[in-house]
Amino acid sequence: MSARFAWRGLLLSAGLLLSSQGHAADVDAAAQIERGRYLATAGDCIACHTVAGGKPMAGGLAVDTPIGPIIASNITPSKSHGIGNYSLAQFSSAVRHGVRADGAHLYPAMPYTAYAKVTDEDMAAMYAWFMQGVAPVNAAPERSTRLPFPFNIRLSMLAWNWLFLDKEPFKGDPAKSVEWNRGAYLVQGLGHCGTCHTPRNALMGEQASKQLGGAGLGTWSAPNITSDVNSGIGSWSQHDLAAYLRTGRSARHGQAAGPMAEAIDHSLRHLTPNDLDAIALYIKSVPALRDPNDSKPVTQWGQAGDRLAELRGVPLPKDLNRMSGAQLYDAHCASCHQARGQGSFDGSLPPLFHNSTTGRSNTNNLVMAMLDGVRRQGAGVGSAGNTDGYLMPAFRQTLSSEQLVSLGNYVQQLYGNPAGKVTLEQVTILRQGGAPSDLIGLVRGSLIVAGLALLLAILWWRRRKED
Amino acid sequence: MAESMNTDFLVIGSGIIGSLAARKLALAGASVLILEAGPRVTRGEIVSRFRNSTRRSDLMSPYPSVPTAPHPIYQPTDSGYLVQAGPYPYPAEYIRQFGGTTWHWAAQAWRNVPNDFRLHSLYGVGVDWPISYADLEPYYQEAEEIMGVSGADNTGSPRKQPFPMEPVIEPYAMRRVRERLAPQYKVVSNTTARNSVGYGGRPACCGNNNCQPICPVDAQYHGGIAALQAEAAGVTIRVNANVYQLEHDAQGRITAALYYDADKKSHRVTAKTFILAANGIESPRLLLLSASSKYPKGLANSSDMVGRHLMDHPSTSLTFDADEDLWLGRGPQSPSSIGTMRDGDFRGQHAAYRLDFTNISRVDGATKDLISRAVFGEEFERQLRFASAREMSLKTVLEVLPDPENRITLSSEKDSMGIPKPQAHYAIGEYTRLGHERAQKDFAAIARLMGGTNLRPSKEGAYANNQHICGTLSMGRDPAASVCNEWGRAHDHANLFFCSTGVLPTCGTCNSTENGVALALRTVDHILAEQGIKPGTAAAAAGAPA
Amino acid sequence: MTTDSAIAAITETSARPFNPGRRLLLGALLSASAAALVPWALAEPVDNAEQGAFLGVSALLVGRLALEPGLAQRLYDALVAQNAQFPTQASALLAQINERGLTAATLQPALDEAQSPLAPLPRQIAGAWFLGIVGSGENAVCVAYEEALNATIVGDILKPPSYADGAYGSWATKPEGAGHG
Repeated sequence: MSARFAWRGLLLSAGLLLSSQGHAADVDAAAQIERGRYLATAGDCIACHTVAGGKPMAGGLAVDTPIGPIIASNITPSKSHGIGNYSLAQFSSAVRHGVRADGAHLYPAMPYTAYAKVTDEDMAAMYAWFMQGVAPVNAAPERSTRLPFPFNIRLSMLAWNWLFLDKEPFKGDPAKSVEWNRGAYLVQGLGHCGTCHTPRNALMGEQASKQLGGAGLGTWSAPNITSDVNSGIGSWSQHDLAAYLRTGRSARHGQAAGPMAEAIDHSLRHLTPNDLDAIALYIKSVPALRDPNDSKPVTQWGQAGDRLAELRGVPLPKDLNRMSGAQLYDAHCASCHQARGQGSFDGSLPPLFHNSTTGRSNTNNLVMAMLDGVRRQGAGVGSAGNTDGYLMPAFRQTLSSEQLVSLGNYVQQLYGNPAGKVTLEQVTILRQGGAPSDLIGLVRGSLIVAGLALLLAILWWRRRKED
Repeated sequence: MAESMNTDFLVIGSGIIGSLAARKLALAGASVLILEAGPRVTRGEIVSRFRNSTRRSDLMSPYPSVPTAPHPIYQPTDSGYLVQAGPYPYPAEYIRQFGGTTWHWAAQAWRNVPNDFRLHSLYGVGVDWPISYADLEPYYQEAEEIMGVSGADNTGSPRKQPFPMEPVIEPYAMRRVRERLAPQYKVVSNTTARNSVGYGGRPACCGNNNCQPICPVDAQYHGGIAALQAEAAGVTIRVNANVYQLEHDAQGRITAALYYDADKKSHRVTAKTFILAANGIESPRLLLLSASSKYPKGLANSSDMVGRHLMDHPSTSLTFDADEDLWLGRGPQSPSSIGTMRDGDFRGQHAAYRLDFTNISRVDGATKDLISRAVFGEEFERQLRFASAREMSLKTVLEVLPDPENRITLSSEKDSMGIPKPQAHYAIGEYTRLGHERAQKDFAAIARLMGGTNLRPSKEGAYANNQHICGTLSMGRDPAASVCNEWGRAHDHANLFFCSTGVLPTCGTCNSTENGVALALRTVDHILAEQGIKPGTAAAAAGAPA
Repeated sequence: MTTDSAIAAITETSARPFNPGRRLLLGALLSASAAALVPWALAEPVDNAEQGAFLGVSALLVGRLALEPGLAQRLYDALVAQNAQFPTQASALLAQINERGLTAATLQPALDEAQSPLAPLPRQIAGAWFLGIVGSGENAVCVAYEEALNATIVGDILKPPSYADGAYGSWATKPEGAGHG
């Protein structure tokens, strides 16, 4: 889709070249639209604002949050159903400050706290692309956002923004290089890496002191990507990190799956090599945060091994839920990951040791990879020919939760960080899509308490007045 | 007798054909029950059994026969389940369990070539099908989209829509064969139900070279997947339900199926419409078992054609050492073939054939051979590497003509459930033998082109079997000469349909599965239209990428 | 040829407990001519003379390949389970090899010519190591598959069936070491 509209931008500029009047300005206009498209790719707008199989930017995707699903809106330039009537100021206000043209507040599922960093010039380019480079879709998304009280009161975002929204656009650090500043701008702004990778407080604001320190996303876990050598990416070279962002895999380090695989497929792999290098450079400078469980780099745990002596010539138990971890590995994993966990010669079927997925003491991503597989989208991704689909199949239907516990613990113990454990409770929760959140109850409870306190205060004051 | 059940549609057999027929009915809103004689099984168990097998080259060793639903076993000793009446052995292998036999196929998913449908009109041998290639073409497409078939266009079967996927990339060994055999022989990539990209939520092939007996990653489609898809579409599959008799009423409508459960308790299931999908041997067996006073020769058998015209694809082969290192065993087991002899005027004189190049690893076979010849020590290592690198093999897939004397009947012996065993009468005719003779010229030429030495042809007069069981429920226009009509409806019973490779009236030169699936999908369309069942709107994705 | 897995097999620790009181070296059991054929194996520790005989005969039959001690133990146990006379027969066979200076090439012809009752043994032992399977017919048992030596011999180019060659397309390229003529 984006290629088509780049083409359209080019056609626009080619046609205009034939006209003798103001053609330089028109070429600039076409260049601006193209830049806007690139920036929207960096911001990964399409990931939330397009539903699978749907028209680009037409909305409809439900973003799951602890307070309920939030439906992304139609941001095509449709005048009836999208943002076709938005001025640049209104567009900017929505993207950078979370306020719609009709004055209503957006929920921070839209990462406007990150986009607040985007410069005016870049906003103008994105506006130009959204208005002219995206096809208008004159239909509303099938669902609309309906959150439980009190979150359905959008005005409540006012207080949240007061606490957590910094409206200052990006300010570079003159002491750092151009490349570092470019990386900082991209990571803090359009890249919105912190939206997933920075842990949040009880009110769901990002904890500024723990930038990129890792956070759970309900099921998948966005790991610590600070510069810490053990817990983060400090042991990765800038080159390896940039290559990972471009391909979603790195030999001897790990591979992207779940939401990170989507971010790479839709956004990161389309960025220029220079921008990826800049992002890598910046991330390698983020203050180190260490998890005390990580006594060595998460990419250096484990070694090749097998339990073949226990397996060969031994029949499976009648109750398949009683299969040992070694038997489960043999039946389901060894074909690709090989009998000793060493993966294929070129690493394209990755080893399970020296792999950050098993090297972490948080085993959520291991379980999620087994439940949902590793899915990649788009041409040229993964190995030659496998242009779309599952690099690793999902085992959600194939393996029971008991089997996932046995297998997960076997893999962790033999190939990964032995401190990482898989429990039945964990697998059950992850299979369901995550633990239910206390937040709704908490806030409602607080409101009731606050309301009662106010009532008592009024009564006391009136009492006093009567005296 | 234990409890009864009732359903609209009863399908007997949960193999790839029965499951996909049931699935299509269920997606249209029908209520469907499948009775499967054998047990449920999962892929992981089969992979484990293969690696622990003491007979890795025996494709049936990961699929043990169970006493409550026995299937033929030949190694290490013949279980005698499929009684051989001769004159020629017919050691058919099939699997009675959830998902049926295609758990262990090589996923060859060919269409017939158009002239296959008109063998008699064009060449004066065999019979014509009651339908044309054009009639079946849209159902071939539908089958290919469900299964995820990848192939090249140059294989003699015209198509209106592209393949769902490009052909699986050619192994190095096959590329060398193709390059060296050109231009005299045109080697093409096989049309297979094997993923060259992620498809249907299943990964692309990663070269396990184990298609038979089991693909460990489901990169190839098979009946186990079809059965799960049927269940996802709302079909109920009852396993360990060995149907031993069909009952009928005075008007000849089939009324009920009787089955034994795992404890040999009998159950009765009534239905409005019956679909028999229990492979080309077990289906005629059931019809013959259901003989009654009104139908003393068995059901659907007023023509005496049930079980007759048994056809399969016999194979002869040539193995030799090429003059360069090829290293078979990398990639899928059956990647390439030569199809130029699948059709031609010669079919008036001798059998057509396809020439298949195998890519199955030579290692275990060469190991056994060297040990039997007492080759040990460093010499063993040297010769094993040589054989693994250089040895190649090709085989014919020969057509046989429908011969009423080739047939499945009931034996006087009984199986472990007390049910009369199936019995095979089989012979390889002159037509086929002449086809093999003609193929010898191709074998010799190909060996020469590959600088072949140490030529080892298969034993003269011996034909290997390919388990493509056809003809025993032949479709045709004449009720006196066939068992069912073009829709698979039994001539004798209005509510009995056959979804099976048994309905194929000639076997052509291609593996029978896709033909069987396409015909079954066409049959279901006919049933839906006739009964006025409308296709549903929900969940109609036919195995499309997840 | 020494593959990665062969190296790993040599350096992997044995599953058997170390028993210094009964430890013998294989070299001590072999005659000079037999020892000359398997110089790499002379430092193999063995528990007793019969197991030593099995290892010695095995070393002769498999040529230069390493004998992983854990696998050796499991194959030996399986062979003994099938045939209680196996330890005696293995010792007798080693004695023949030593006395007559037999090699991998001359062993079987010598046994056949003498119509020796030991004639089936070399094939049984070779089948155990190269295929990982002991016994035949209904009595056969699987002891190894991935570790069977026939997989090791070709392991630089081929994975054993049911193991992935690599990601999609890996089989399209010419394998390393594939030659002509």
